Amino acid sequence: MFASLRLTGLPGAVLAALIGLAACPGLAQDTASVAAAAPASEVGTDWPYYGGDAEARRFSPLAQITPENVARLERAFVYHTGDLPPGDTAGNYAPETTPLKIGSSLVLCSAMNILISINAATGAENWRYDPEVPQAAIPYGATCRGVATYTAPDLAADAPCKRRVIGTTLDARLIAVDFATGRPCEGFGSGGQVDLWDGIGEKIPGFYALTAAPTVVRGIIVTGAQVKDGQAEDAPSGVVRGFDAVTGALVWAWDLAAPEEMRAGPPAGKTYTRGTPNMWTTATADEARGIVFLPLGNSAVDYYGSNRSQAENTYATSLVALNAVTGEELWHFQTVRHDLWDYDLGSQPTLLDFKGRPAVLLASKQGDLFILDRETGAPLTEVGEITDLPQGKIEPDFVADSQPVSLWATLRKPALTEKRMWGFTPIDQLYCRIRFRQAVYDGYLTPPSTRNYIQYPGYIGGSDWGSVAVDVARGLVIANYNDIPNLNRLVSRAEADAAGMRPPTAQAGDRGQPQVGAPYGARTNAGWRSGLTDLPCSQPPYGGITAIDLQTGEPIWDRPLGSARRGGPFGLPSMLPFEIGTPNNGGAVVTASGLIFIGAAADNLFRAIDIESGETLWTDALPAGGQANPISYEVDGRQYVLISAGGHHALETGVSDAIIAYRLPD
Amino acid sequence: MTRTSSSSAARPVGWSVKLLGWVCVLFGLLLFLGGIWLITLGGSWYYGLAGLGLLVSGVLLNHGSMKALWLYLLVWSATLAWAWWESGSDWWAQVPRMLSPTVILVLMLACVPALARAERARG
Repeated sequence: MFASLRLTGLPGAVLAALIGLAACPGLAQDTASVAAAAPASEVGTDWPYYGGDAEARRFSPLAQITPENVARLERAFVYHTGDLPPGDTAGNYAPETTPLKIGSSLVLCSAMNILISINAATGAENWRYDPEVPQAAIPYGATCRGVATYTAPDLAADAPCKRRVIGTTLDARLIAVDFATGRPCEGFGSGGQVDLWDGIGEKIPGFYALTAAPTVVRGIIVTGAQVKDGQAEDAPSGVVRGFDAVTGALVWAWDLAAPEEMRAGPPAGKTYTRGTPNMWTTATADEARGIVFLPLGNSAVDYYGSNRSQAENTYATSLVALNAVTGEELWHFQTVRHDLWDYDLGSQPTLLDFKGRPAVLLASKQGDLFILDRETGAPLTEVGEITDLPQGKIEPDFVADSQPVSLWATLRKPALTEKRMWGFTPIDQLYCRIRFRQAVYDGYLTPPSTRNYIQYPGYIGGSDWGSVAVDVARGLVIANYNDIPNLNRLVSRAEADAAGMRPPTAQAGDRGQPQVGAPYGARTNAGWRSGLTDLPCSQPPYGGITAIDLQTGEPIWDRPLGSARRGGPFGLPSMLPFEIGTPNNGGAVVTASGLIFIGAAADNLFRAIDIESGETLWTDALPAGGQANPISYEVDGRQYVLISAGGHHALETGVSDAIIAYRLPD
Repeated sequence: MTRTSSSSAARPVGWSVKLLGWVCVLFGLLLFLGGIWLITLGGSWYYGLAGLGLLVSGVLLNHGSMKALWLYLLVWSATLAWAWWESGSDWWAQVPRMLSPTVILVLMLACVPALARAERARG
């Protein structure tokens, strides 16, 4: 996750200034299934899953809106959730919401987890259910990326909660409400809720929060949680759990440090293993094979590793495949060894067939794209090894001296050089060049230091939770990405204490990344902004979008994403329409007609891009940043495209509660 | 901006030329000192050299000398060559390198009539 990062751009009216590879190919056993595979819901008229279809391809087969007519697209409705930040939480909102569309309804969650159903053609509200999440529960940001639904096969067709909406909350509850009415499902947990703090330990608001859509597979709701980064080694567990979608009962727990002991929940008096790598993003399920793919993050303390357990070192920043019915591990694939860069796997994996094998595509924050065999975890694309990596002075014995890299496709750009330092005038460029030369930087995977050191790519990617979209027919992966460094520094315990850096407690919130338990705290300057002008110290572009050929891994096109209109020095908007390439967060939807719809960029524009050429064909200015994954669906024969324009606090793209749908005029 | 209402022996150029001169001195000094720092860190020599050129151009401007323009033309030409060598046709990368040096060039060209008058006044 990231701290503060705003887009930037070219200055405006300021002329007066004048200036891997641990794949354990354990064979996927046939999952002697307790629950049989459910028939998949089709994407098209509906958008039944967070990632569009069950494969999370973010692809719509609809083709009414085309490159030829997209310029005529207009707003069908704007729905306001009403969930706007009260008072001092204004700097903490990033709703990132992607609705589901089923039948005639859209179901979604607001930033503070209010579950809402609206008419998919008109935006008229059908119902809402407010779980009343306290403001103190807001972790890094008030975020609710999405919900899941489940249809209980054994309930009568007209029974309440036959079809149910499964939501998660920032205060770590799992909630089930009736799809048609929004009423809590009485048979689910206690009054329609399950408390996920159970087995985690002392309840500290904001330390343990759910922000991602859950995944339902074989009648089991699979969810991890976000554990606030960098607070303490003694942090909530990264346990991933499966709950019965009808009763809310725990079916299995996967505690990577004690999988057998904790499978049925922690023994009395114990908690799940603390401080372990968590899954804050959304898993992808292979319903037919009964496998769920978990993209794991790093350990709770990101920038110091010598105290980590063997189990943490084995699983951190890995994709893990579990038997979805039993919670037993099938295989795992580690993308970074001994992660000291917060390269959490944030992207939801995508299922596809590749070279005749059932495969899973994984995009990473360090930019590498991997395609793995779904059943064995063996790479189906070439994975190389970079060796003789810098060891640094902090913990040279811990720092891995070699790391896996994708030789098939990567979003990562060449290492930074002094001349890629930037500014508005030679003076602030000079300032950043001096800062560059002063910093510790040995290229990709420079280990932490008590001096300023450069991490590039920074921790928002590469590819973050927006994930990638895959057009199987055209054989293209559409990936938007960030291209911006962090300037970080480890601080001594004494300095961390003196600066008041502390983890959250039941009484008070956290400040900074104290990394309690490690000898150092950490300071991160995400997006490395100049202390002089607030512009980034590195030159644009800061983000882009590319179409990668699935067969070769080569980009068909690759271009900056996001204009300079909202960015400028000293926080002034430049109004310039030039495509500078901004930081971005949120993904794309691709339609069969050859269009890519994407917000994501920090210029608050929603774009339609020609998938063949990369050219922008249409834009609409959103009331706040479109840092959410858009969707497409159909009602009464008309295709809609929809995005949540909630803004993002760290990208400084404003705050809004608008959900905006588009369609062609009558 | 180059019009001067009076020119005496004590004030060979008007306030607008002097203002530009002092701006060049100030930014030249900043670039020169920072540039020396960057050189000691193993970085580019451009900023120290360009800063020195800008600084001296500013002093010459304050003295009403046409040499200011010739020197600055040299600095600007060298900047153009260096900027192209470092970043080529990447226009965003050229913003810090070429934008404000070119603005200074334009302002300095606007000073030409005043400088010419000052040179004539000195004989």
